[in-house]
Amino acid sequence: MGTRCGIRWTAVALLAALTSGAAPVVTVAQDTENPYISRLDVRAGRQLFQARCSTCHGLNAAGGNESTGPDLTTGRFRHADSDAGLFRVIRDGVRSTAMLGLGADADEQSIWQLVTYLRSVDVTAGGTPTGSAAAGRQLFTGTGGCDRCHMVNGQGQRLGPDLSTVGERRALAELETALVNPDAEVLPRWWTMKATGPDGQVVEGLRMDEDTFTFRIMDADQQLRAFSKYGGWTWERVQRSTMPGYADTFTAAERNDLVAYLFSLRSEP
Amino acid sequence: MTLTLLRTPTRILSRPVAALAALAAAAGPVVAQPSPGEGLAVFSPVTWERLVDAANEPHNWLMYNGTLDSQRFSRLDQIDSANVGQLELKWAHHIPQLDRAETTPLVVDGVMFITESPSNVVAVDAVTGRPFWRYDHPLPDDLRLCCGRNNRGVAILGETLYMSTLDAHLVAIDGRSGSVVWNREVADYRSGYSKTEAPLIVKDQVVTGIAGGEYGIRGFLDSYDADTGERLWRTDTIPGPDHPDNRSWAGDSWRTGGAPTWITGSYDPELNLVYWGTGNPGPDWNGAVRRGDNLYSDSVLALNGDTGEMAWYFQFTPHDEHDWDAIQVPVLADIELDGETRKAMLWANRNGFYYTLDRETGEFLLGKPFAKQTWAEGLDGNGRPIRRPNTAPSQEGTLVSPMAGGATNWWSPAYSPRTNLLYVNAFDGEAIFFSRDEDYQEGDNFTGGGTETPLPIEHYHSAIRAIDPTTGDVRWEFPITPRSRAGVLATAGDLVFSASIDGYFYALDARTGAPLWHISLGGPVHAQPMTYAVNGQQYVTMTIGNTLYTFGLGD
Repeated sequence: MGTRCGIRWTAVALLAALTSGAAPVVTVAQDTENPYISRLDVRAGRQLFQARCSTCHGLNAAGGNESTGPDLTTGRFRHADSDAGLFRVIRDGVRSTAMLGLGADADEQSIWQLVTYLRSVDVTAGGTPTGSAAAGRQLFTGTGGCDRCHMVNGQGQRLGPDLSTVGERRALAELETALVNPDAEVLPRWWTMKATGPDGQVVEGLRMDEDTFTFRIMDADQQLRAFSKYGGWTWERVQRSTMPGYADTFTAAERNDLVAYLFSLRSEP
Repeated sequence: MTLTLLRTPTRILSRPVAALAALAAAAGPVVAQPSPGEGLAVFSPVTWERLVDAANEPHNWLMYNGTLDSQRFSRLDQIDSANVGQLELKWAHHIPQLDRAETTPLVVDGVMFITESPSNVVAVDAVTGRPFWRYDHPLPDDLRLCCGRNNRGVAILGETLYMSTLDAHLVAIDGRSGSVVWNREVADYRSGYSKTEAPLIVKDQVVTGIAGGEYGIRGFLDSYDADTGERLWRTDTIPGPDHPDNRSWAGDSWRTGGAPTWITGSYDPELNLVYWGTGNPGPDWNGAVRRGDNLYSDSVLALNGDTGEMAWYFQFTPHDEHDWDAIQVPVLADIELDGETRKAMLWANRNGFYYTLDRETGEFLLGKPFAKQTWAEGLDGNGRPIRRPNTAPSQEGTLVSPMAGGATNWWSPAYSPRTNLLYVNAFDGEAIFFSRDEDYQEGDNFTGGGTETPLPIEHYHSAIRAIDPTTGDVRWEFPITPRSRAGVLATAGDLVFSASIDGYFYALDARTGAPLWHISLGGPVHAQPMTYAVNGQQYVTMTIGNTLYTFGLGD
C-alpha cells in the first residue's frame, strides 16, 4: 500500500508539471507556512484525526492500544521535523510502513488542520526545560514560599491554583510568563471580589463563583464566604492576579529551575 | 389500583364548583371555562375562535407564544409585585431523556402538554403534574442536528395536537389519548432537514417551519390541512430562478442557501397575514460563495393566511456572514407613534438592532442598537444596515460584536400593553469569526468556517432589557451573570419572569426591573416561562435543566 501511495504521488506531480504552467500544489505546500493555525483549525483537525487517523494512533494521538501506530504527542516525529514535513507525511504516507497518507487529492486545508492539531497535542511544546527540576522543587517549598499559596499533590495552601498537573497544561513559555507577569492571563476563578457591607465593612477574597444573585469567595484566612448581591452589600471585581511578579525576586537561573519543576508536574511522572 | 381508589366520587361531588361544572358539561360543551379540577377533567375542543380570542381565557395557554400576536403577556394578575415573594413549588416533572429542554407547554382546561427531548410529548394534570399519557416518537440514528435534540412545543386545534419531530416530520396526535392521527414527512432528514419548532394554527391549517441552516438546505414555510395532513401550500424562503429576487444569490448558491424557519411565527386575523422569521444564509461564515443580499434570509416574511403568497418582506441583515438568524418571535402590538396608532411589529434582532416595523406594509418605522454591536454605523432610512469595513469573517479571524449566538436569539421576548415595554434577553458578547472553504455535500454540515470567543464568558455583559418601542430606547435593564438563554413572560400582575443559564428562575418588577423573587433550581435553562390557572389558582411554569417546575402562591 505504501508503495502504491508513492507511485500515485509521482504520477500526480508529473501530471501537474506537464499540464500547466502553474506551480504544482505539492511544491507550494512544502514551501508555505501553515496558514490554518487557529483554535478553530485545531478543532477541525481533531475531528478529521479522529475519523481518519485514530484507528492506528489512538483517539488523542497518544498511540493506539492495540496497534502499532506511534504516539504523536511527544513533539518528535520519526519522518518529519517541520510543519511542511508533517504535511508531506500526512498527504503521501511513509513508504514500506502502515502509514498510508490521505492521498494526493486530499484538500490542502484539511491536511494543514491535521498538522495544527498534532502541534496542539504536543505535550512538550516549547522545548525542553533548561533548569533543574530538583532545585526548582526546593525553591518552591523552601525560600521561594510558593506553597504558601499553591498546592501540589495535597501539600501547600489554597490561595492560588493547584499545580499538581500544571506541566500537562502549560508550555514552558507560559510558565515563565506566569512567573514574571501573573496579570498576563487571570482566569475569572482567580479574580478578587471586594465586597462592602451596609456598615462600610470590607471583605475581600478570591472569586470562587458568581451568578445573577450571589457570589462566593475564599478570604485570606481560606474561609469560604457567601454573599447576596441584593442584601445590602455592594461589590467590585478586581480582575488582577493576587500573585506578585517574580522577575526581580528570583534570578533567571532560579526561574528556570522553577519552570523545570512546574513542567515536571504531571499526573504520571 | 390503590391510586385509582383514592379519587373517590364522593370527594368530587362534595365540591360545589365541581358539581356546577358537571351540570354545565351535561347541558352542552363547556367552552373557555376554568377547569373544575379534581376528578373532572373538562378538556373542551380548542376551536379557531378560541385561538383568536386566547387573551380572554388567560387560565389557558393555547399556543406556543400564548396568543396569535405573540406578546407572551397574560392577563392573570393573582400573582403580583406584592405577593410574588410568597411563590412556592407546587410540583415538578422530570424529563427522562437528557438533552436541551426548550419547551413551552400548553395548558387546555387543566391539562398540560409538555414536549420533551428528543421528539416526545406528555399530557399531565396541570394541578399535580401527574401524567395522563405520553407519545414517544420513533427516530432514526443518523439525524442531522446542529444544536441538540430538542423540541419547543405543540400546537392544538380541536382535540388534536401538532408536533414537529427531529426527523422532519409533522405528527398529529390525539390530545386525549396520545394516539397518532396522522404522520407526514415534511422533508428528507438525510438531506439535513429537521424540525424543532411549535407549529402555528391559522384557521384550519397547521403552519410550520423547518430547520437545517447549517446543512445547506433550502428553507420554506409549509401549511397542512389540520384534518388530513395534506399540504396546502409551501412558500420557499429562497425564491427560485423564475423570480427576480433569485438574482440576490450568486450563481447556484441559492440551492444550498439555508434561510430556515425554525421559530414559531405570529398571525394577524384582521390583516390575514402570517408573520415568520427566517434564518441565516448558508454557508454561514463564507459569504464569498453567495454574493448578493441573499433574499429572503435573515428576514421577516408577511404571507397571506390562505395561500402563503408573500405580501411583503423586510430583510434585517442583507448578506449575513455572522449567523445572525432573524429567528425571533414577531411581536405584534398597536402602539402610539407621533400621535397616531400604528399596527406595529416589534423586533429585537440577533444582529444587535431593535426595529419597529409597520406590520401592514413592512415599512421601517425606527430602529437602533439595543446591545453591543461593532459591525454597522447604524441603519439608513429604510432600516438597512450601514456596514463598517473589515467586519466580514476572514482567514485569520475578525473580531465582531455580537457573537454568532447573537445580541439575542430565539428566546421569546414579551410585551406588556400595561407598560408598553418590550422585554428582551440581551447579550453584549463578541467573537472571532473565521471563514473557510467548504464543499457542499448533501446531508453534511455546511458552514464555511466557525467562531471562537476570545475571553471567558465572565468578561461579557448580559441583561434583561426593557425597550420602548416608540423610540427604541432601553428604559431599564436587569444584569445577569454570566448570561441567559431563557425567554421572557410578562403578566398583568406587572411582573416579568425569566431565568438564567446558572439555574435561577426569577421575577422582576415590569416597570422598574427591580428583582422581586428568585429561586435557584440548579440546571441550565433553554426554555421560556408560561402561566395558567386552574380552579382560580394561578401558576407559573419554567423548565430548568431537565425538570419542569410549577409554582403558585400558598393556600
